[in-house]
Amino acid sequence: MSTSFSLYIPRESGMHRLHPLTKLALVAFCLVLGLFLPGVWLTYLVFLLIIVPLAAWAGVLPPFLRAAFKTALPVVISVFLVQGLFWPGGTPILHLGPLSLKQEGLQFAIRSAGRFITVVSSFLLLTFTTRPDGLMLALSQRGFPNSIAYIMLATMQIVPRFQAKANTILDAQRSRGLETEGNLLVRLRALLPLVQPLLLGSIVDIEERAIALEVRAFGRQGPKTSLLVLRDTPAQRVLRWLLLLGMLAVIGWRLYLAIAPRLAA
Amino acid sequence: MIRLRDVTYFYPRATTPALADVTLEIPAGQFCAVIGANGAGKSTLCYTLAGFVPHFYRGKLSGGVEVAGVDVPASSLAKLAGHVGLVFANPFNQITGARFSVREEIAFGLENMGVPLDEMEARVEDILGFAGLRDLAERSPFALSGGQQQRLAIASVLVMRPPVIVLDEPTSQLDPIGSKEVFAVLRDLAATDAATVVLAEQKLEWVAVFADRVLVLHEGRIVADGLPGDVLASADLTQYGLQPTRYTQVARAAQAAGFRADRHDLPVTLEEAVEFFR
Repeated sequence: MSTSFSLYIPRESGMHRLHPLTKLALVAFCLVLGLFLPGVWLTYLVFLLIIVPLAAWAGVLPPFLRAAFKTALPVVISVFLVQGLFWPGGTPILHLGPLSLKQEGLQFAIRSAGRFITVVSSFLLLTFTTRPDGLMLALSQRGFPNSIAYIMLATMQIVPRFQAKANTILDAQRSRGLETEGNLLVRLRALLPLVQPLLLGSIVDIEERAIALEVRAFGRQGPKTSLLVLRDTPAQRVLRWLLLLGMLAVIGWRLYLAIAPRLAA
Repeated sequence: MIRLRDVTYFYPRATTPALADVTLEIPAGQFCAVIGANGAGKSTLCYTLAGFVPHFYRGKLSGGVEVAGVDVPASSLAKLAGHVGLVFANPFNQITGARFSVREEIAFGLENMGVPLDEMEARVEDILGFAGLRDLAERSPFALSGGQQQRLAIASVLVMRPPVIVLDEPTSQLDPIGSKEVFAVLRDLAATDAATVVLAEQKLEWVAVFADRVLVLHEGRIVADGLPGDVLASADLTQYGLQPTRYTQVARAAQAAGFRADRHDLPVTLEEAVEFFR
């Protein structure tokens, strides 16, 4: 059984060695490009010319493409079907029986799909190449609350345990003759004897974990240190600022495009 | 090192005290075992020493509790961390979940205390060896057996070098092999004298081997206090809901049958039993 929800794939790559904030900035940059670039095709260029090469540099291209494909495909297909075929009015370019493919709908679908692919793949790139604890450490060092960083990290590892426990309880109740298969009503009724021990048990678990955290000085005020050392370089700091400026420029450009026609009028 | 004076404690909404008039002094470096039936107050005593009574469980505490020079009721949990280490029964719940390897899990407490990196690395390496976890250092803490996880929990507390370490039935949820692994670590800990150790434990045969002193709790009161050989072989043990070790039981049965009826020092360990029957 997997011990964590983390999608991180350990590799010895330049991408992996980047400071987590640099990767976060890269991903945010791609995200902004994906959401704000005008036109139909530009977002695909972001995916092909920035995100895919970065994934290749990180040495995670095959699993990255697989995951991106699996996540994006259902959404992309439904966007094309719904927008392409059911666009109100518009110019039909292909007749399919009672339905027709509309040019405007198709354009909208291509644009939305591009955005979606860019957003999904940039998040995947971040999670595939960044240790979650490294990212949280980098954020904590910049003033992000420790308790929230803890919750995010612990959730990744404890939720799979929680699922395992739910399965154990389910098996135990089943062995006592609990019906868990059948219609909706039967299944709903089966939830009750599962939820109660799971919740009560979890409350005890949380209490004990809170004690364990206190013992380990988690509540202590004052500066913390870290066994994990994040490497940062002046070049990366410059890159992060450039990426931030780039994001602002893209957003500014897009705003200008939106406002310019009105100014002219 | 540990000083309790007339300590009485009620959990919130409880009408009977979990601890009643407990007065106790444990000198530095002593390994003191606390035994007693379920509900006798062993866990409550452990939580009191570590400050979770009253700072976590609230309730009503009277009397004085001083541990490692700290007035516990007047202090806070954040201040007590590092002074008193606590290990309890469930190994899984003692894993923070915020670290992805055994080595990092051990370092968690030191990170929170702000220990410098080079010192932290040295202390973690040291403890990995002491707890026999070096080969598992890169593993996920969740991918360990119960005994390994419990050794990890002990190591995570030891690495903070608290002057007092409290263990509340650390083997009660482990299988025999896991228990044996944990007791081996505890025996090494007893041998170092580096810390004052309080161990609440039901497995009297282990207690007999390495405790310097045994306390018996019954309904929140200390009813016996002495050397393991005296306390564990005493005839009163059963009336407190405790079963003497099998060595004592066999020797007592032999005495009832007329064998060595003059002997008063009944065996509590294997070595003593061998000597008794020779």
